[in-house]
Amino acid sequence: MCLAFPGKIVALKNQQATADFDGVKKDINISLVPDVAVGDFVIVHAGFAISQLSTEDAWEVLKEYEKGTKMNHV
Amino acid sequence: MTISLDYGGGGAKSSELIKQVRKILGGAGKWQNSGDDSASLALSKINLSKKACQNQHLLLTTDAFIVDPIFFPGGDIGKIAVCGTINDLAVMGARPLGISLSIVVEEGFPKADFLKIIKSIAKVSKEAGVPIVTGDTKVTEKGKLDKIEITTAGIGMAEKVINNAGAQVGDVVIASGDLGEHTVALLSERFGYRSRVSSDCKPIDKEMLAIGKFVHAAKDPTRGGLAANLVEMAEKSKVKIVLDENFLPYKKETIALGGLLGIDIFSFASEGRFLATVSEKDAAKVLRILKKFNAQAKIIGKVQKPVRRRGGGIYLQTKLGSLRPIEMPNGKLIPRIC
Amino acid sequence: MYKSEKSLPKLLSKIEKVASQIKRNVVLMEVCGTHTQTVSKNGIRSLLPKNIKLLTGPGCPVCVTAQEDIDAVVALAKAGIPIATYGDMLRVPGFFGSLEQARSQGAKVFSVYSVQEALDLKKDFPDLVFFGLGFETTTPMTAMALQNGLTVYSSHKLFLPAMDALLEAGQTKIDGFISPGHIATIIGTRPFEHLKVAQVIAGFEAEDVLVAIYLLLCQIRDGRKEVENEYVRLVKKEGNQVAQKLIWENFKICDGNWRGFGKIANSGLEVKNPELNAKIKYQNILAKIDFSQAKKPTGCRCGQIIRGTLSPKQCPMFGKVCTPENPYGPCMVSEEGACNNYLRYA
Repeated sequence: MCLAFPGKIVALKNQQATADFDGVKKDINISLVPDVAVGDFVIVHAGFAISQLSTEDAWEVLKEYEKGTKMNHV
Repeated sequence: MTISLDYGGGGAKSSELIKQVRKILGGAGKWQNSGDDSASLALSKINLSKKACQNQHLLLTTDAFIVDPIFFPGGDIGKIAVCGTINDLAVMGARPLGISLSIVVEEGFPKADFLKIIKSIAKVSKEAGVPIVTGDTKVTEKGKLDKIEITTAGIGMAEKVINNAGAQVGDVVIASGDLGEHTVALLSERFGYRSRVSSDCKPIDKEMLAIGKFVHAAKDPTRGGLAANLVEMAEKSKVKIVLDENFLPYKKETIALGGLLGIDIFSFASEGRFLATVSEKDAAKVLRILKKFNAQAKIIGKVQKPVRRRGGGIYLQTKLGSLRPIEMPNGKLIPRIC
Repeated sequence: MYKSEKSLPKLLSKIEKVASQIKRNVVLMEVCGTHTQTVSKNGIRSLLPKNIKLLTGPGCPVCVTAQEDIDAVVALAKAGIPIATYGDMLRVPGFFGSLEQARSQGAKVFSVYSVQEALDLKKDFPDLVFFGLGFETTTPMTAMALQNGLTVYSSHKLFLPAMDALLEAGQTKIDGFISPGHIATIIGTRPFEHLKVAQVIAGFEAEDVLVAIYLLLCQIRDGRKEVENEYVRLVKKEGNQVAQKLIWENFKICDGNWRGFGKIANSGLEVKNPELNAKIKYQNILAKIDFSQAKKPTGCRCGQIIRGTLSPKQCPMFGKVCTPENPYGPCMVSEEGACNNYLRYA
């Protein structure tokens, strides 16, 4: 339902930032994620960054989950 | 300065503009154009023996061009008009002989832009060695047209006419380079994206002629992109075409833009590429030739026996190992948010 | 981002194994249009074990936008009020045509990719109305546009009340849901907890969906009904609080009107500020729409079809008055909807 795409913040100015999506650059609005910095990855929906991406990979989570060391239900 | 209605009225301004356009476009090559109602070509000038004539076909194509925006990274409406016409002939195996050019301009169109477009037409026509042999210009009242529209006709000659119905089971499908970059250039310009990708717009006649004798079926994936044009090829050839997701002919920027706008890249158009099927034994040879023109030329899939119930159709062998259909795109490229 | 493509065959064999442990037919559902795309683009259905069926839910916010709302905005457009909305909305018909048709008849209708473009258009067209639609993911952007003085016709909806209705309205044969990762990005994981069904909040790459299917099957095998979060790289327990604040500052809850389902209590969002609420500002135009003239065929069974209790061809409207060209319910509007697909492939 909500098409969103990951991009890397390459420049910042007030509530506007430039994000790089695999070589395609676009100015985006970052007012919903006020704490982002250059170099961070964000997910962008309809021209707005909606959240910051962490490097945590679900595959890793899955492995830990199976070992019983980390429950990923909330 | 802008173009007013007088420029298309047949009076002094008209003939002044026509003179200017003809000067930019240069001569008509082997064609005769005395400024009269038609251009003519003496067949003796194309060096054909009587015997050779018996095996030759004349090919005629026509196309109308409206592009938004008119100028984009890598080209403009004029360049597309010439390339598109040459390519429609080339992809059918023909050597293009000449092009006619008919332009309709909206009143108030900047004259400098008009001349820029004509210069661009002249440049690509000269480089390709395909003359603009006759033409016409009309001006419409403001609001009756969106800026400019170009219609061309092209005439060519071929010994072997190639079409998109000849794909044979066992063939491989070759892309002459990465696809979709014309659409990337247009969408980037329209929606404010920036990348190193510019339009792939260029004539493909030299490449096509170089491999023509090996080709079973060919198509230039313009409007509708790979999806529409291969679906059509599969249907007409009554075969199934299976593409390999590991060898898709798209740059990462193209894939990213498709993802960002929610538009299927298989429907992205190219204006200087073709898709061809050749028998597997000729594939390496053909690829070697094509790589001289474009290092990105590659085999993207194979032609198989049709599924009995569904007939033709094209499929993607995904990285996951599944086989999924690629469908005919449904018209205009509209970005999605969901 | 997921870069572990080599893990794919391993994932498939894990799914195979759990599925064989379950020993009965299992019905899973994805409820997000972008999940639908991931599933179809990667041919995931054809890879699943025979006893696992993956259904497509009600579809995207565009597909569930009620005919009445489209007709209202078309009426505004025809009355000379410039309209801006997301491109995917233009072609979807109400009872009296689509915004695209209104545009071809001379109405000023603009397709935008972001509310920023609508705000830019407002400089040239001060009366511009933004037709706002979408779930929680898209609502914060409209909220921001409201703060910048843009007039809005809101068709925004809340996702969870619809899930509640879907689960409560009748017998459901759905064992587990792949829940929408980008909605969870905004609202967090907690609101999903009250749905008493197995759920995995998932991202949108093929790997994400496969991990979600695997986790769901584990829950079903073990008899658990929990909310699990596969999309850990993005979705946080508390969601995006800046975005939530923006929504509640600018919108209030109302009943939502859903295409094919009708009214669902407390599932809609209305603009708080009456001066920027197009439904109030232009009530004189909207009141004149004569819905008694609308051809409203009866018998849409989308609700049951989505819940998997009815097949598309059992709907009396299917393929007759309801077609992809002239769709009635969301299952026919969405290209991936059950009815649309059934008509194209079966």
